[in-house]
Amino acid sequence: MPSEALVLGFDTSAAHCAAALLLGDRVLAATSEDMGRGQAERLMPMLEEMLSGSGKNWSDLKAIGVGVGPGNFTGIRISVAAARGLALALNIPARGVDTFSASELGRTGTVLPTVPAPRGQLYLRPPGEAPTIAAADSVDSHGLPPVPPPAPAVLAENIARIAAAGGGTVPAAPVYVRPADASPSSTPPPTILADDP
Amino acid sequence: MDDALTILALESSCDDTAAAVVRGRPGAAQVLASVVQGQDDLHQAFGGVVPEIAARAHAERLDICVKQALTQANLTFSDIDAVAVTAGPGLIGGVLSGVMCAKGIAAGTGLPLVGVNHLAGHALTPRLTDGIGFPYLMLLVSGGHCQFLLVRGPEDFSRLGGTIDDAPGEAFDKTARLLGLPQPGGPSVQAEAENGDPTRFAFPRPLLDRPGCDLSFSGLKTALLRARDALIADKGGLTEQDRADLCASFQAAVVDVLAEKTRRALEVYLTDKPPEPVLAVAGGVAANTAIRASLETVSADVGARFIAPPLALCTDNAAMIAYTGLERFATGKTDDLTLAARPRWPLDTASPALVGGGKKGAKA
Repeated sequence: MPSEALVLGFDTSAAHCAAALLLGDRVLAATSEDMGRGQAERLMPMLEEMLSGSGKNWSDLKAIGVGVGPGNFTGIRISVAAARGLALALNIPARGVDTFSASELGRTGTVLPTVPAPRGQLYLRPPGEAPTIAAADSVDSHGLPPVPPPAPAVLAENIARIAAAGGGTVPAAPVYVRPADASPSSTPPPTILADDP
Repeated sequence: MDDALTILALESSCDDTAAAVVRGRPGAAQVLASVVQGQDDLHQAFGGVVPEIAARAHAERLDICVKQALTQANLTFSDIDAVAVTAGPGLIGGVLSGVMCAKGIAAGTGLPLVGVNHLAGHALTPRLTDGIGFPYLMLLVSGGHCQFLLVRGPEDFSRLGGTIDDAPGEAFDKTARLLGLPQPGGPSVQAEAENGDPTRFAFPRPLLDRPGCDLSFSGLKTALLRARDALIADKGGLTEQDRADLCASFQAAVVDVLAEKTRRALEVYLTDKPPEPVLAVAGGVAANTAIRASLETVSADVGARFIAPPLALCTDNAAMIAYTGLERFATGKTDDLTLAARPRWPLDTASPALVGGGKKGAKA
């Protein structure tokens, strides 16, 4: 019988550091800490504590599941960059799992996964469509039960489960939904005249 | 070389994603691989580096660059002694991506992690390229920085002066923008200047009337804008000759200011009585041939050797981060997985903060 795969899932796409460790379909550990800032400092020590607390090492991992958002741009990058570094070092896949898929996991029937977005908006992924951002009150128009993200530790666990099942995308890449705030240079270039005779 | 160290490094503090491998000892190291992936194409339309766009690119390119660097060096992680990474100063989104990727690599391989100051990377480059000894004078002049550093040791920097507003590279970029020339502005303004009359416009030489080594470039930018607008008001546009003359006059002002301030910094440096005086430059602006020529003259005047590392090691790269990591690691310094990314991180914490630099020190 093949040994069960050890899979680590983690997420920093909102104001938390969350992680879960799966052995086969058994949850060895799942935890989260609320934090508005300091995720970059806390994430890796937290993952190490989780592994050692379960008597495991980095080299025991068979795959990584990483939350790719949508959510806080910087937070998503913190996890994605770490996951890609780990994947390269351990020569294992880092599977990018979006919050929508992680929220839907285990739900029966068609739902509308939602993620809080800035300025009272929501990120949505209507069935079969690309994710979008919309006003919170537009949710009703889809006629589907909206499903917000689960508690962070559950989110991390679901991310790990999807990765363990070979889901998610490789290489892991952030799902930003919104383009970068940037506007083309507002200074029009001067008119260039023919040289004085 | 039994005590040789092999250091892998990541750099992502502005708009270049870079990874490199350096092997050797302090003062005697060589670059085994250096990968730099620029982002000029991503930022072109915006007339400058957009931090969020840069951060997005870094996060998805760093691991690829690391892989390329190892392949180029024909090494695997088992050949590496430590992982160095730029931990600041710089655009925080990019720095964070680099720090997190490096932490992932360090955790996964069990290798020590070494956080490196980006400015130290530039400042120690002459030791990588030319193996020079301490102390030497460094003029760091780029799109984001402009400062004179007296380098007495791998972690011993005294800032003799710096820009109180813009960096010269920024001024070149802005000039290019105002005159409808392509970005980055350095090469395009220099090319225009070659056909222009540097005496046609009398642009200011800011802060030359004041003692010390501090510099200022924002007034020069404004003067250029006024001169341009006056020409446009007069004839509805600029001729190619006008544009070339504006570029030449602008560049001449930058050259004069840098030359005079460098002369003063050299004076201070020489009171240390260095056995083999050296003026070294780093940063993309050091690629400007007019600036380079005048700095060469200024150092020759006082009998100092002039060192300008090859351009690839003058502009942002990871080899300098690997080398600086090597110097730190060789003295037993490492960081743990709580290493923080710092948008500001002055090299010299003893000297008074630069005007406009804020309490926390030099900007990116």
